Amino acid sequence: MRTHRFAMLGCVALLAGATAACGSSSSDTNSGSGSGGSSTSGSSTPASTKLADTIIWGTTDTVVSLDPAGAYDLGSQQLIGNMYQNLLSIPAGGTDPQPDAAQSCDFSDPKTYTCKLKPGLKFSNGDPLTSADVKFSFDRELKIADPSGASSLLAPLKETLAPDPETVTFKLKQADAVWPFILTHTVAAIVPSKVYPADKKQPDADAIGSGPYKLVKYTPGQQAVFVANPNYTGPNKAQTPNIIVQYYNQPSALKLAIEQGDVDIAYRSLSPTDLKSLASESNKGIKVITGNGTEIRYIVFNVTKPPANQLAVRRAIAQVVDRQAISTNVYNDTVKPLWSTIPASLPGAIPAFKTAFGDKPNIPAAKAELEKAGIKLPLTLDGWYTPTHYGPAEVDLWNEIKRQLEASGLFKVNLDSTEWTQYKDAAFSKHQYYFYGLGWFPDYPDPDNYLSPFVRDGGFFQNGYKNANVDKWLDAELATSDQNERIKYFQKVQEQEAKDVPLIPLWEGKQTAAIKDTVMGMEKTFDPAFQFRFWLVTKKAS
Amino acid sequence: MSRTAGSLRGYILVRIGLMVPMVWVLLTVVFLLMRVAPGDPISATLGGKLSPAELARRQHALGFDKPILTQYFEYLGQVVQLKFGKTITDGQSIGSIVVSNGGATLELTIAALLVAVLVGLPLGLVAGRYRETIGDAVIRVFGILTYAAPVFFVGLLCQLLFAKNLNWLPASTQASAIVQATAPVTTHILLLDLVIHGQWGDIGDVLKHLILPAVTLGLLVAGVFIRLVRVNVGQALGGDYVEAARARGVPERKVVTRHAFKNALVPVVTVMGLQVALLLGGAVLTEQTFNWPGLGSQLLKYLNNRDYIGVQGIVTVFALVVVFVSLIIDIINAMIDPRVRY
Repeated sequence: MRTHRFAMLGCVALLAGATAACGSSSSDTNSGSGSGGSSTSGSSTPASTKLADTIIWGTTDTVVSLDPAGAYDLGSQQLIGNMYQNLLSIPAGGTDPQPDAAQSCDFSDPKTYTCKLKPGLKFSNGDPLTSADVKFSFDRELKIADPSGASSLLAPLKETLAPDPETVTFKLKQADAVWPFILTHTVAAIVPSKVYPADKKQPDADAIGSGPYKLVKYTPGQQAVFVANPNYTGPNKAQTPNIIVQYYNQPSALKLAIEQGDVDIAYRSLSPTDLKSLASESNKGIKVITGNGTEIRYIVFNVTKPPANQLAVRRAIAQVVDRQAISTNVYNDTVKPLWSTIPASLPGAIPAFKTAFGDKPNIPAAKAELEKAGIKLPLTLDGWYTPTHYGPAEVDLWNEIKRQLEASGLFKVNLDSTEWTQYKDAAFSKHQYYFYGLGWFPDYPDPDNYLSPFVRDGGFFQNGYKNANVDKWLDAELATSDQNERIKYFQKVQEQEAKDVPLIPLWEGKQTAAIKDTVMGMEKTFDPAFQFRFWLVTKKAS
Repeated sequence: MSRTAGSLRGYILVRIGLMVPMVWVLLTVVFLLMRVAPGDPISATLGGKLSPAELARRQHALGFDKPILTQYFEYLGQVVQLKFGKTITDGQSIGSIVVSNGGATLELTIAALLVAVLVGLPLGLVAGRYRETIGDAVIRVFGILTYAAPVFFVGLLCQLLFAKNLNWLPASTQASAIVQATAPVTTHILLLDLVIHGQWGDIGDVLKHLILPAVTLGLLVAGVFIRLVRVNVGQALGGDYVEAARARGVPERKVVTRHAFKNALVPVVTVMGLQVALLLGGAVLTEQTFNWPGLGSQLLKYLNNRDYIGVQGIVTVFALVVVFVSLIIDIINAMIDPRVRY
């Protein structure tokens, strides 16, 4: 029965024009080197291992759009990253952009960035991929400027030129060292100019790219079915011919699905409690794996509102917060302490808050700081958080923060919460809160994406913090493509962050998944790029 | 004869005419509730990523900064042209949502109605026949519990018992992932599509997935049927025609099944139609509990994302279904009973 179904799934691929999946009509397996061709450099699968044809990934992510012009959410980006190619991409385990559809890319001057395309690139429908498609892709992003899309990331772009079929030149408005990272974002995914409309989004079910996988069936909110793209000629060959993405509306349903064997991978977002429970279910063939992540959580102070307008208050709170206790008590160590807004796995990250305040709470130092400022103790604080937007553990996080602050004897904390839509308005626009929690997923794994949005001109949350030196250093790091030079500026900004304490970094997430113990290669895709790379994952045939 | 037919026609026309203000009031209430509630689709999904200026630009592009009355009249103008728009959070037209998700809701509600009939009618009959006995009391308590217990609670209990602990039935979704991936799409009703295309091997899988959601939702309506049939059977058993049948020496079993039960079922058929609203309301929670890909789960998704277009569109569809079914029932009632007129 199972063999029959796998064969049928292969035939879905065949109907869609793929050839890769139908080679095993009488078997549900393929060889260890993958049916898509030779094994990838990232593969750890022994050549003799029989591999399953199909992997089912269960997730609670939601998808806004499969057209790069309409996507700025993680759920869409996870699929787009497997269907489309970019000129540059972040390789698994890396943090620097490397050529993908491009053969090479370089700044010819600080405001001109030129890429040469690899020869023989094709979209999954067989159309050749040329520089005209690249220019078309960037032009339509800016033209459509979809309200749900990420076109605002292309703000530095002045013009895209395609002087010949293999050359693309980007003219920038100003020097921007982050531009190569932006080219790795899904906003820069390349779409076929002969198929996609120039002024509106392509229907999701008709998405076409040139990446390792092609979409053959898409039912919004239910399922996305991918097969290996036979026209893909890059280094990231698909090892598993069919990937089915199954969507669940809540973590509890996803947990049950992996327990019942309905999915092979449960990835995003199981609660810490679910993960702890699943970790003990090895007898059911389930294991929990973790890897580097770049999601962060932090406290924001509105530095214009009392009592957070007093540096001593902000510093005293930073002195009292126990990050390790938060990681252990609230998250069962599925996160780790964050000592700067830049996660430790990124270049240039320094443990600025650990250096400034130590790695353990120092209550006498905090008390001295508050008394020196003439603050009457205990000081009452009104803390705000949003209870569901960042997952169910947010309530526990803020109760732990309250417990820690009150245990110091220096603070009395009143907690309050409201749902995200109200919360965001009250915090960012109406400035009603002075002490509240936020989280961040990066757009791309560059340290600038963990600094500029927070500390330049009050940050996106408009908390009133402004420091001319910080702005100057951020301008300087953007103006140079010398990575060593940039790192020096990043370090200065982080040190200043720890001095001024406009926010307090709390934790950086590890990426965590529950998988069947027959699934291999999942760990390789857990890195700061936050991209689930289908091509790295295989499953032993049963 | 002609006078009766004429007044019936008038009644039907008035009922159809009343649908318009009913739908208008509903659209207005939903529109206002969505606007009064804080937030909009863009800030709900991207509010933590964008600068205030960029956020404002996007809200402006979608017209969310226009005066509420302007937005309201623009919306009504679109609805009159039957243009319900595309959802903001995933770019789907309301028509495509109804087509692709409506099938799952239809499958669930029909199966639930079947469960309600199979459970509710026999139990109601037994309770009515044996009034004031222990059996009657047990069935009454069961009926009250199934009607009063929240659907999601019953669903969670079923999942815990039959899916997690006993591992007899799947806990969620409409079918196994591979069955869904290989299923042909013709009518968007999965079970029907598999039958049409002769994929008999997969029907068992789909039916297994259907059992828990259908039972959960069906029990809700079964509670209504139990109470209704019990009362009607009790009344029928005290009727003159039943006494007459008994006096003629008709066996008691036949008296109950052929005379009392038959007559007791007439109002149940009417109520069955009226339960559509209850079924649709229950379907929202059932679909969410069982990850069922119907209109109800879509509605909740759009509500969470403050997607005005999605919420307004699906609520309108639900309302039209309820109003239309009510209309049909009213017309049938009017045709059967000449006293029903304005």
